[in-house]
Amino acid sequence: MASQNRTGLERAESVIIVSVLLALVVITVQPILNLLAISLTEPANAPGMSGLAVIPDGLSFDIWTLLANHPAVQRGLINSFFITLTGTVLNVTCTALMAWALSRKNLPFRRTIFILVLVTIVFEPGIIPDYFVMRRLGLLDEYAAVIIFKMVNAWYLIILIRFFEEIPNELIEAAELDGANPFQIFWRVVLPLAKPALATITLFYVVYHWNDFLRPMIYFNDQDKWPLQVVLRQFVLVGDKAAIVGLEAMNNYTGASQIDFKSFRAGMILFTILPVLAIYPLILRYFTKGTMSGAVK
Amino acid sequence: MAQHTYDKINSPHHGKVPSRVVSAVGSALNEDWSDDFREPRTAEFKDNFQKWWPYYLMMAPGLIYFAVFHYLPIWEAKLAFEDLRIIGPNVWVGLKHFVQLFASPAFVEVLLNTLIISAMKIAFVFPLPILLALLINEVRSPRFRQSVQSVIYLPHFLSWVVIAGIFIGALSPADGAINDLRDLVGLERRGYMTDSGSIRWVLVWSEAWRSAGWDSLLYFAAIMSIDPQLYEAAEMDGASRWHKMRHITLPGIVPTIATLFILNVGLFLNAGFDQVFNLTNDAIQDKIDIIDTYVFRLGITGGQFSLATAAGLFKGVIGMVMMLSAHFLSKRLTGKGVW
Repeated sequence: MASQNRTGLERAESVIIVSVLLALVVITVQPILNLLAISLTEPANAPGMSGLAVIPDGLSFDIWTLLANHPAVQRGLINSFFITLTGTVLNVTCTALMAWALSRKNLPFRRTIFILVLVTIVFEPGIIPDYFVMRRLGLLDEYAAVIIFKMVNAWYLIILIRFFEEIPNELIEAAELDGANPFQIFWRVVLPLAKPALATITLFYVVYHWNDFLRPMIYFNDQDKWPLQVVLRQFVLVGDKAAIVGLEAMNNYTGASQIDFKSFRAGMILFTILPVLAIYPLILRYFTKGTMSGAVK
Repeated sequence: MAQHTYDKINSPHHGKVPSRVVSAVGSALNEDWSDDFREPRTAEFKDNFQKWWPYYLMMAPGLIYFAVFHYLPIWEAKLAFEDLRIIGPNVWVGLKHFVQLFASPAFVEVLLNTLIISAMKIAFVFPLPILLALLINEVRSPRFRQSVQSVIYLPHFLSWVVIAGIFIGALSPADGAINDLRDLVGLERRGYMTDSGSIRWVLVWSEAWRSAGWDSLLYFAAIMSIDPQLYEAAEMDGASRWHKMRHITLPGIVPTIATLFILNVGLFLNAGFDQVFNLTNDAIQDKIDIIDTYVFRLGITGGQFSLATAAGLFKGVIGMVMMLSAHFLSKRLTGKGVW
């Protein structure tokens, strides 16, 4: 604002603020750039790479070729996409329909249902009862288990209800007078007005499904159903020996020379982040906007 | 806001609200109160059914979901009071598993760990996004500000599997970034991940790395909603940047700070399952084992389902009391509940 008559002190303050923020940016980004550098380094040089390096030591795409051809990674990728896609479609449809009904203020038992939903936020009996319910329903080792597990997230439901309530009642009443049924009103009046909110919820659900590792890990004994996060966990955190033996066999297959665990790790972590990075611009656009208006409310 | 008011009016206790207030709020909400003088009940029910059944059809998947995946587990939690039988029905044993739980030193240790880790996170992670939002607010160039913001939000969207991978790498004694830095300034290398003295700090700082940026958004939004006239008036009086931050910005976000602080306290027993589960290892497990990871190991890995359910149920009940207290405290203090 008044930049022309800034004092020396204020200028010093600005320099400090900017440097602190730049330092935070470096702390956030450097670990990811380091992984990228390691994954692109000539595999033979990878063991000598410093944790501080951000430039590859001799460029090579061996690791990425290996990852793209590794059967466990391929299966994980397909599973992750399948679970995320079907899960999100189901999530958004059911959440939006329920929110629309609950946003109608004269709906009988509205308050009761609302309270019953709130109870599920406040009281969680834990993972063991969840597991037993899945077992009782015969859903263990079925994709359906992780797809349905958080079908309607109570928090997102409440966010959507709040948003639908803001839609002017006159619009809905006018549609009712025109003889539109509740489904038509939902489709033609409510959804077009709620696009930003729905986009936000959709992204919430996408990120949730993509990042979920616990439920697939518990519910899937069958490794062929594992999504990428569980595969990543098995390789990178658990250090599964069988997986590494498979990796060595793959080395011979791709003809890559001496690929070590370090570069594989780096590549694998990045591989799992890539889809999140791909939708990150969308997230910035909708999440930040949604959260801002939510907080101002 | 409107939602709360509406629910209050429709609550079974609405007789306690003076009718003047009800009609005032009612007309403000543009609602039709003539409904209160109305025909017999059966006709009403029939009308209601005719009008509202499509809405119940819409809610059906959601309602069934909540019944099966949220209320059925509550029923299944009775396992905490039973002994599991492979053949035949389970046997009711009352509080046996709870007694066993509290008698075991492992559970007491786990409980203590949970409290210590949560307290450390509230003490050291909670203030960071507030400071960050205040700093970001002082940046003059909107372009620089937005660039910084769009970078520091990113870690919030990474899974704990990924973040654990990143941290274990960065803290590695052989070639991690932190130890390479220590090497540069002449300090000796340390194995943070296997040192029982530092592992809890790893939890604190990895939590900070993941959430400080994103959480600052909430405070930044609160700052943005402060009346700009306040700043203009202060500038006329010759207030410095520091004064404005201290006397306008900070008081302006106190309600947000209070709400989030109370929410954090309400979630005290959730010390971070995903985080601990992915960052743990045999060398330091006893230092960071929390209730949730204990339940997992006992039940899913160890097959002691009744005992694990008892531990989970204990946490669920205490957590419920804390969450409800948080909600009503927040409502009383700031007029805004947790949900």
